[in-house]
Amino acid sequence: MIDSYDWAGGREAMMRFGPDTGPVVVAALPLFEEANRTRSFVVTILRLLAARGIAGALPDLPGQGESMLPTHRTSLLKMQDAFNFACDTFDRDGRACYALGIRSGALLDTLAPVAGRWHFAPMLGEKLLRELKRTAIAADPQRTDLDAPILGGDTPIEIAGNLLSPALLAELPTARPAPHARIVRLVTDSADAVLKVEGSPLWRRAEPDNDPALATLLADDIAAWIRACAS
Amino acid sequence: MQPDGSLEVENTVRGVLRDVLGLSAERVAEFREDTPLFGALPELDSLAVAGVLTELEDRLGILIEDDEVDGEMLESFGALARFAAAKALG
Repeated sequence: MIDSYDWAGGREAMMRFGPDTGPVVVAALPLFEEANRTRSFVVTILRLLAARGIAGALPDLPGQGESMLPTHRTSLLKMQDAFNFACDTFDRDGRACYALGIRSGALLDTLAPVAGRWHFAPMLGEKLLRELKRTAIAADPQRTDLDAPILGGDTPIEIAGNLLSPALLAELPTARPAPHARIVRLVTDSADAVLKVEGSPLWRRAEPDNDPALATLLADDIAAWIRACAS
Repeated sequence: MQPDGSLEVENTVRGVLRDVLGLSAERVAEFREDTPLFGALPELDSLAVAGVLTELEDRLGILIEDDEVDGEMLESFGALARFAAAKALG
């Protein structure tokens, strides 16, 4: 069902799944282009959780999806604040919220007082900024406008056809996921994780793709983790 | 998992090309030392190169500086595998 929530900057859409009672998994997609590449994967996970009796929500954060705020006017702080408001709609009814963050989506749940955080392939903002610069330079090797002092300005920054927010880019070097999350990664990833799973990095694909087998594995892990957190 | 030999690095490079470019496992299994990459694989455009390098960093636990990237290392499968092995194995 398509619902909505209000935050300080306006109203955003929120997809909701599963029962109207009990704990809720509130998901944050990665920033920028990777949101498009992982959206149907995350929706699949939330549907699988609903089939396991656990509710889910996927809020559009400011500058994402159908949001009225242009992509280049958003900031990490606005997105984190809005994520908090999205959780609040459930919190008010006494329902426990758990954050699901994938890739740079793991940077967006830091302000929300959730009962737990589950992160798949989380990354530092610094690393994301490096990837963006690399993409920009790949598209235009003469590019020199991506250095730190310029990132603080007001002018939208164009990278590979997308207009990005200079405020958000300026926040990235110090952005990191909240501590004490349950961290799950692909088996091919060399970084630390409590669980490593087989699958392919959908966020790298130019064409959006899905991986139902991986989604099932992750939904099972999230469901077991929530049961363990709640007990 | 940190690959500890050059064959493992080579397989990691195959896996990265498969996953980032969306190639079949059979196709990347056929890649040889002299299989041409950049300019020969239509899937490997300059944006895809950025994805390949970043994914190699994640899988091998290495850091690739942009000034290390040149046409030569992307010329063939062998050249890319050698570059990755030199970074990963030191």
